[in-house]
Amino acid sequence: MKRKRLVAVLLTAVMVLGMTAGCGKSGESESGTAADGEKVNLKLFTGKIETIDVMDEIIDDFNNSQDRIVVEQEYQKDASNVIKIKFASDEVPDIMTVYEQGFVDEGKYMDLSDQSEWWDRMSPEMKEACTDVKQDKAFRVCTNRTTAGFFYNKEIFEELGIREFPTQWGDFVEMLEKIKTEKPDIVPWFIFGSEAWHLGHLIEFIPHGYLKSTLGTLEAKKAMLDNDESKLNFADPDGAMAVFAENMKELQDKGLINEDVVTATNDNCTQEFANGKAAMFSNGMWALTSILEANPDMEDKIGFAPYPAYMPDSQPVVLSAEDSGYSISATTEYKEECIEFLNFLFEPENQKKYCEAAKAPSAFNDVEAEWAPAAVVEEVDAALQNAVNIGYTNEKPAGFSGDDAGRLLQGLFAGQYTPESFAQAYADAWNDGYNSASASE
Amino acid sequence: MKKKIGLHTFMAVPAFALYAVFFIYPLVRGIGMSLTDWDGIGTAKFVGLKNFMDFFQDPRALSDIRTTVLFAIGSTLLLNMVGLAYACLMNKSFRGRSLAIVCVYMPAIISPLIMGYIWYLILQPGRGFLFHLVDNMGHPEWFGNWMGTYGTTLIVLILVNVWQYAGMTMVVYLAGLQGISKELYDAAEIDGAGGRQCFRYITMPLLKPSIRINIVTNIIGSLSVFDIVMSLTGGGPGYQTETLSIYIMRMCYGSKTGYSTAVAMIMFIIVLIPVAVSLKLMKKGDAE
Repeated sequence: MKRKRLVAVLLTAVMVLGMTAGCGKSGESESGTAADGEKVNLKLFTGKIETIDVMDEIIDDFNNSQDRIVVEQEYQKDASNVIKIKFASDEVPDIMTVYEQGFVDEGKYMDLSDQSEWWDRMSPEMKEACTDVKQDKAFRVCTNRTTAGFFYNKEIFEELGIREFPTQWGDFVEMLEKIKTEKPDIVPWFIFGSEAWHLGHLIEFIPHGYLKSTLGTLEAKKAMLDNDESKLNFADPDGAMAVFAENMKELQDKGLINEDVVTATNDNCTQEFANGKAAMFSNGMWALTSILEANPDMEDKIGFAPYPAYMPDSQPVVLSAEDSGYSISATTEYKEECIEFLNFLFEPENQKKYCEAAKAPSAFNDVEAEWAPAAVVEEVDAALQNAVNIGYTNEKPAGFSGDDAGRLLQGLFAGQYTPESFAQAYADAWNDGYNSASASE
Repeated sequence: MKKKIGLHTFMAVPAFALYAVFFIYPLVRGIGMSLTDWDGIGTAKFVGLKNFMDFFQDPRALSDIRTTVLFAIGSTLLLNMVGLAYACLMNKSFRGRSLAIVCVYMPAIISPLIMGYIWYLILQPGRGFLFHLVDNMGHPEWFGNWMGTYGTTLIVLILVNVWQYAGMTMVVYLAGLQGISKELYDAAEIDGAGGRQCFRYITMPLLKPSIRINIVTNIIGSLSVFDIVMSLTGGGPGYQTETLSIYIMRMCYGSKTGYSTAVAMIMFIIVLIPVAVSLKLMKKGDAE
């Protein structure tokens, strides 16, 4: 009996100890051992699916080139949310591609302004894009420039006698109507609205693009950071947001966009465009790979154009923004090792590989990469020259993401809003996000 | 005797420790967090009951409550009706009965997230399997845009949920049915009772424990639904089919961690009320 009791007590004690074993903190940091002479493990956290393979290759080369530092890549599809969990649980990666204004304000990133060997190789626009307006410091280094605008099927346009992509909204609508009338089996403009980020991008590139093109990059950034309502004017029934919503509703009502705008997916869009069933769609250069994979014959048929001007005082705009930014955690114990790795990553031959995998031109002046078929590069260059180049809105309130914005547009397409109530809902969501971010500062 | 109680108490330590670590501690931390404006990154500031008041002033949150409650009512009712019907069918002996039980139960063991994506591919307007089926039959007009409006999308979500989990309720009812003595039905038959009377006066009263288990678990599961909605509609179009669980997740990732914890507390109460009421009503029924 006594033995049984002893066994029971011991088993219980083992169970309790076993359960609590994971709760203790080991003496080592997550990122690696700090002792001299031992290897340093660096964690690199990325949300960029298109660069996973090339980064694995570059990381392998780096790890094999020396025996002090081991870099390990972690990819998460939902990286911008997962990083919040990592910050909250104190499992911060040493290097990361996720960058948000809120994290900058919280001092999560290391100041990289003094890394002149990187900045000297970069164009002034890209350097400016990497600089935080509030603090006038750079907390990330972007390796690429990305472009977004309208991809269109040149063959369809030629068949219809459309020689130039319209630069004014009225002409743009007329062109869509012409496509619909003369080629009824083709969707003039395909929007894959089941994916909120895509609709968020339309807001980002069209009404936000208008603000950035009219106010200027710096002024627009300041207005967004200060939530200067007199300049942003989101709720104005005649403002950029309401007019944009009205235009989108008009296209939907006239059948100039796909009927299933609310439920169509990115894959549907790629297939429809690659098979010649959609005349155009809006997206960034990252879409190129999947189109060419779906139909390699599209290589010479892809045209690229800016977003037409849609307000009385606006100009056509095209996104030409920083992409693929690398930041170092402010709390890493291995600053020198992180910089050593980034030096390796930013070497021209590695960047050439990187750009070709990411299908985006380099942000570094000394990198020559064949990032897209020559015909597409020509189209992109022409679009960049003929429109106001705008950047991303990194200054959005932390509590109001691009997906949130996209869901509002989804609601507009589903008949939940009128253009005016959409503009008001957008302004409310923006202000709410701004106020919650300000309250927690 | 006293010694035995001491040992038995000690034996409960692992269970209590698990309960404390995974329930009491998060609950207490959650209550504390719900009273702050923590954004998930910076420092938290005490804001009292502001988060709770904000919740009831947010039209999106109130719409989410409506969606969640409607989903729960529809799902609970249908799950029990369909589950009971399946159970009555499977309680009879016929060839292929075991295979039929496996087929009905199988969807329950598939991840709801995967289930949602599969159903999306089936139901997607203009492109899904079902559309192509009716299109090939020459009647594309039979296929409506079921995922484009609030009402139809909600019905689709309920039906997919019922299709997935009806097997689970069936198993509970089947166990209950098999526990009812056949002699009771034989005696009733001798007394002249018909099938409907047997079902009403023998089956239903003796199935009460199974009904209780099913209703309580269905209410809890349906009120906290997340994966099916997330994968099938993403809470859309817009925020129309967003449920409270999705709202909590989005608020938490949207730098409103304190607020989202307050909503989680509210959701806890929202789940608790119908569960407590249904348990009380059924206990009262038992006593009568």
